[in-house]
Amino acid sequence: MYGWHGKILRINLTTGKVSTEEIDPKLARDYIGGRGWAIRYLTDEVDPKVDPLSPDNKLIFATGPLTATTAPTGNRYMVVTKSPLTGALAHSNSGGDFPTWMKRTGYDMFIFEGRAQSPVYVWVNEDQVEVRDAAHVWGRDVHETTDILLEETDPGAKVACIGPAGENRVLMAAIMNDKHRAAARSGVGAVMGSKNLKGVVVMGRKNPAFFDDAGMRALSLELNKEVGADIKKGSNLRIYGTAYVPQVTNTLGILPTRNFQTGVFEGVDNIDGVALKNKYLITHKPCYRCPIACGRLTAVDDEKYAGKGEGPEYETIASLGSACGLSNLAALTKANYLCNELGLDTISTGLTIAAAMELYEKGEIGIEDTGRPLSFGDGDAVIDMVQKIAYRDGFGDELAEGSFRLAAKYNRPEVSVTARRQELPGYDPRGSQGMGLLYATSNKGASHMEGDVAYEEVFGTPVKADGLVTDGKAELVARFQDAFALIDSGGICVFFAVRYVFTKEMMIWPVRLAQLLNLTTGADYSPAEALEAAERVYTLERMFLIGAGSGPEEDTLSPRLLHEPLPEGPGKGRVVDLDKMLPEYYQVRDWPGGIPSEEKLSALGLM
Amino acid sequence: MKIRLKLIASYREHLPPGTEGSVIEVEVPPGATVAEVVTPFGIPLDDSSVIVLNGLTVPLDAPVLEGDTVAAFSAIAGG
Repeated sequence: MYGWHGKILRINLTTGKVSTEEIDPKLARDYIGGRGWAIRYLTDEVDPKVDPLSPDNKLIFATGPLTATTAPTGNRYMVVTKSPLTGALAHSNSGGDFPTWMKRTGYDMFIFEGRAQSPVYVWVNEDQVEVRDAAHVWGRDVHETTDILLEETDPGAKVACIGPAGENRVLMAAIMNDKHRAAARSGVGAVMGSKNLKGVVVMGRKNPAFFDDAGMRALSLELNKEVGADIKKGSNLRIYGTAYVPQVTNTLGILPTRNFQTGVFEGVDNIDGVALKNKYLITHKPCYRCPIACGRLTAVDDEKYAGKGEGPEYETIASLGSACGLSNLAALTKANYLCNELGLDTISTGLTIAAAMELYEKGEIGIEDTGRPLSFGDGDAVIDMVQKIAYRDGFGDELAEGSFRLAAKYNRPEVSVTARRQELPGYDPRGSQGMGLLYATSNKGASHMEGDVAYEEVFGTPVKADGLVTDGKAELVARFQDAFALIDSGGICVFFAVRYVFTKEMMIWPVRLAQLLNLTTGADYSPAEALEAAERVYTLERMFLIGAGSGPEEDTLSPRLLHEPLPEGPGKGRVVDLDKMLPEYYQVRDWPGGIPSEEKLSALGLM
Repeated sequence: MKIRLKLIASYREHLPPGTEGSVIEVEVPPGATVAEVVTPFGIPLDDSSVIVLNGLTVPLDAPVLEGDTVAAFSAIAGG
């Protein structure tokens, strides 16, 4: 095969047995790779009603056909499993270096099943695959673990691992790779911890061959030149990283503030990209072969909050920062570093702390519950809670279950700002209606990475859409969801893909993305066929959700977003008009009552 | 009349040299449009910019009123 290796590595952690499998070429084309292949295998092998933290759940690492290619940003992988946070599907995406090194082992996908008797890590050096004892790194943080595993294997290898949060099955635990990059969302780190799998180390030199080598290199060069031209004009992502976004969302009145009680934060100037650049930025830090380089290598020299690492990125600024009412950038950055070292998703961690802060300020909980004052804006409280969550220490044990379960316990459901029990990213959907529909229907619970229509409603890419308008959003959300399934399955980064390999036609249309896939694999997708394959992926994921009991009944949002109008800003007075958009969405999808019709399933080859 | 102009992130470079922060006050004639507010600062009026009035999506020929805020940023970033 071209582009794909066509090989899967299966590791049974219960027995220690390692096996390899060839992938069916028709399945390879029909499901593209990455996220698509993974949901096909998960559906075939795992009962959607499985306890996510039981040995019967499986954990899949999947690269795409464009991973480890010359395609700009062709360096992403997906972690796919059933989520312990949402009870639905997890598919978390990450970059860094690890994805390319993983693909170079000669395998496209790893499937981890069962549960090891005691902590282990897996070392994959092409055909040398070993399940090794990890007792000596169990309990260690991500940085220490990474350094030790590299010392024991190959200093040129790459590591994905969990920190204490994953070991302690914290429901918002991440899988970190290359120390600072995260497959963060939906508790994938808790699943890894439940399998006693501390880390995965990869090394290899098996670059995939291209179907049309000269054509692939020429198109890759052309795309790199286009990115380069934009960088020269002044790319916000290069200059400021995603940290430039708080000023944008604050201007639009959708920057989550004090647990989504408003969308305008008075302290935004203290935590934006300009402040980060002036105070703590060392340099930009690209993922492997990325021409955009949105990552930030930073250091804080403040005595109290000293540290060095990567970030904060926008989502972290919105969750650990404005959502917690925190305008102290040093404290925020320190909390970010700790999340990375302990292996936590900053979005769910920040929003869960924010929910607890609201409960505290409203007198629902007190110091007798929390063990310390927990007011909005208290950076020391945020830092303390991050650590307590990772170790399930004291009140942290309650927070480790996420905001949905916390709010339910205190009978204040509105303080959990979630969809499918997963905390919202940094776009208040009351002022970005399409994002509201996206969150409500996302297969992985609230996530911007599932079909980020903020590209249009916030960033004007490829065209500007009015975030306060609901007309047309059903079509837009469905198209973006499929487009993102295509991007995730292909193995490239959304920051690159939406702007450079889609056209503006048909909302967005994957003309050059189909070309990249074809030059790499020879699969000969038309743009329509590529999107249809992505719709197949999205629909199969939906069927997994329905099987898991997270179907149409969960296509909703936190009561706050549906019943509490924004109190100020451009969206003042608005709630999410989900009652209007959701039926339209079902119609666009051909999902009567939220269930894919037999005709739709048949047309996609899913029956 | 006076309005506020906010140029975000890379567009801060279009503000007058020495400007503190990202917001300046601008004097414009009554009836001035959004486009007329940003044009003197070299802000592109095509798809490469996002330009909003009081945070709202409006046509570029929308009139501004005393005390309004016009904000602009580059859409080129790609994310």
